[in-house]
Amino acid sequence: MVFVLRRVLQSLLVVLVMSLVVFVGVHLVGDPVHILISDDMTQAEIDRFIEKLGLDRPVHEQYLHFLANAARGDLGNSFVHGEPALKLILERMPATLELALAAFVLAIAVGIPLGMYAGLRPESPASRAIMAGSILGFSLPTFWVGLMLIMVFAVMLGWLPSTGRGEFLTWDGLRHLALPAINLALFKMALVTRLARAGTREAALQDYVRFARAKGLSPARVVRVHVLKNILIPVVTVLGLELGGLIAFSVVTETVFAWPGMGKLLIDSIQRLDRPVVVAYLVITVVMFVVINLVVDLLYAALDPRVRLSEARA
Amino acid sequence: MSARAETLPFGSAATETPLRRLARDFLDSRVAAGALVLLGLIAIAALFAPLLAPQNPYDLAKVTVLDARLAPGERGSAGFLMWLGADGAGRDMWSAILYGLRISLGVGVASGIVALLLGTALGLAAAYRGGWLDALVMRLVDLQLSFPAILVALILVAILGRGADKVMIALILVQWAYYARTVRASALVERRKEYIEAAQCLALPRARIVFRHLLPNCLAPMIVVGTLQTAHAISLEATLSFLGVGLPQTEPSLGLLIANGFDYMLSGRYWISFYPGIALLATIMSINLVGDRLRDVLNPRLER
Repeated sequence: MVFVLRRVLQSLLVVLVMSLVVFVGVHLVGDPVHILISDDMTQAEIDRFIEKLGLDRPVHEQYLHFLANAARGDLGNSFVHGEPALKLILERMPATLELALAAFVLAIAVGIPLGMYAGLRPESPASRAIMAGSILGFSLPTFWVGLMLIMVFAVMLGWLPSTGRGEFLTWDGLRHLALPAINLALFKMALVTRLARAGTREAALQDYVRFARAKGLSPARVVRVHVLKNILIPVVTVLGLELGGLIAFSVVTETVFAWPGMGKLLIDSIQRLDRPVVVAYLVITVVMFVVINLVVDLLYAALDPRVRLSEARA
Repeated sequence: MSARAETLPFGSAATETPLRRLARDFLDSRVAAGALVLLGLIAIAALFAPLLAPQNPYDLAKVTVLDARLAPGERGSAGFLMWLGADGAGRDMWSAILYGLRISLGVGVASGIVALLLGTALGLAAAYRGGWLDALVMRLVDLQLSFPAILVALILVAILGRGADKVMIALILVQWAYYARTVRASALVERRKEYIEAAQCLALPRARIVFRHLLPNCLAPMIVVGTLQTAHAISLEATLSFLGVGLPQTEPSLGLLIANGFDYMLSGRYWISFYPGIALLATIMSINLVGDRLRDVLNPRLER
């Protein structure tokens, strides 16, 4: 219990530190007033504008004000859209989550079978091709793969739409989802393939697998039950941590495919110096990350008492 | 010492230095050797871009809109063959790629070196001094590495604003933690070894122990991390520039060239994005392959 409390407090501290870093940092960048006022505004109008946005108060006061409001779920209004920043982001969150989850499922569904195959037949040409492919998956910049997918499947072949999002879980929606999801999944797919291959190679040499074979079980059953079950633990643990990475990387994929999610909003807001939206995005993402890390840590501790004990001693 | 080596009867064996052994092991892999050659060519292309390019793509007097969107293989109005085509402003793509490589590699390598120095200094200090300094540095490293590099870079770019210098600072701050962690880990192992103890018993100055004894023995993992991180930095810079929050239009790296060609791609003019992408890819792949091979060669435990 003490361990859980400690971790929760640590996580809260991280969120607080990050919000301070982001807020103070963003405050010191250029002056959003210059971008938002038009030339024909009078000085009185400009002053009223600045006062309305609270930009005339000292930084620490703005931050405390921001914190107090954030605790109530109010992260300020967007300078550009004039709507609450939190609302803007939450509106776009389902699109990002849809994309991230589709990529997550795709990475597992493709990565595990490929990795297991490569692990069971490490010397075969197909396995070598899979491993070479996984190196490519690590090296290729996400945005460039996205461009190539658009070029091949949307422009040259004309099979799939290149931009936008359709209705959730309709044929049209799936068609729109296909290319972005593949794009976002590619990196994690390479990672899962490597993890599954390493796990399979290790498991294939274990006594319980040899025994299962000696018992006369069919090879398919040995692989499906005995090997698969044992490689799932490390794969799922690592992927849990990588879920946050998918959300962060969706910034790139969303921009390439004009997917109307949070990431696209972030990039637009950075370019327009729309400070409240940038801060709100970062705070929300940081909270998401901290929660994911916390949950994975607590799961570890629940599964492995050694972690708990060494933390308590430290 | 060299005089003695010459008198040894076994000429070839005497010339086997650690560096040569390393080079021979490295070149055992044909893929790695090929990647090294490719990387060398890319580096030369980047270094001598102004001499190799038929056109200075950012000299407005040399570029004409008449050449805009010429397909690969057509002859531009200046008379030379645009074998990779021209972009929307009529710049020769081959020249633009050479200049872009220069910027991409320059930013990647420069930020990598500064991050290496910063991370090494902090990592060594943390490992050797221990105590509060170690705790502070490692907390920072943990905090930063719990977020993906792209997110940290976006936060930094949002905070720092645009411009080449700001992107460099962001890349350095993203990378230092990887170096600090690597150096600290190997320094912690090394400092318990007897040669460090012996040096301490000789009452050598601390700086001498750290830089002459400890640091050289931590170099191997740093070289590997340094290579792979440079590829990572180049990729990250390209991504930021593509997203429009990286380098400004006046310093067009490969990422920006690709972004500029994006709109034309939908109308079938693939070459404006495609060829800079290939150049970026070749750079990142060759650095990664060299780095992977270095890791295999420098780490005897991984030998199969």
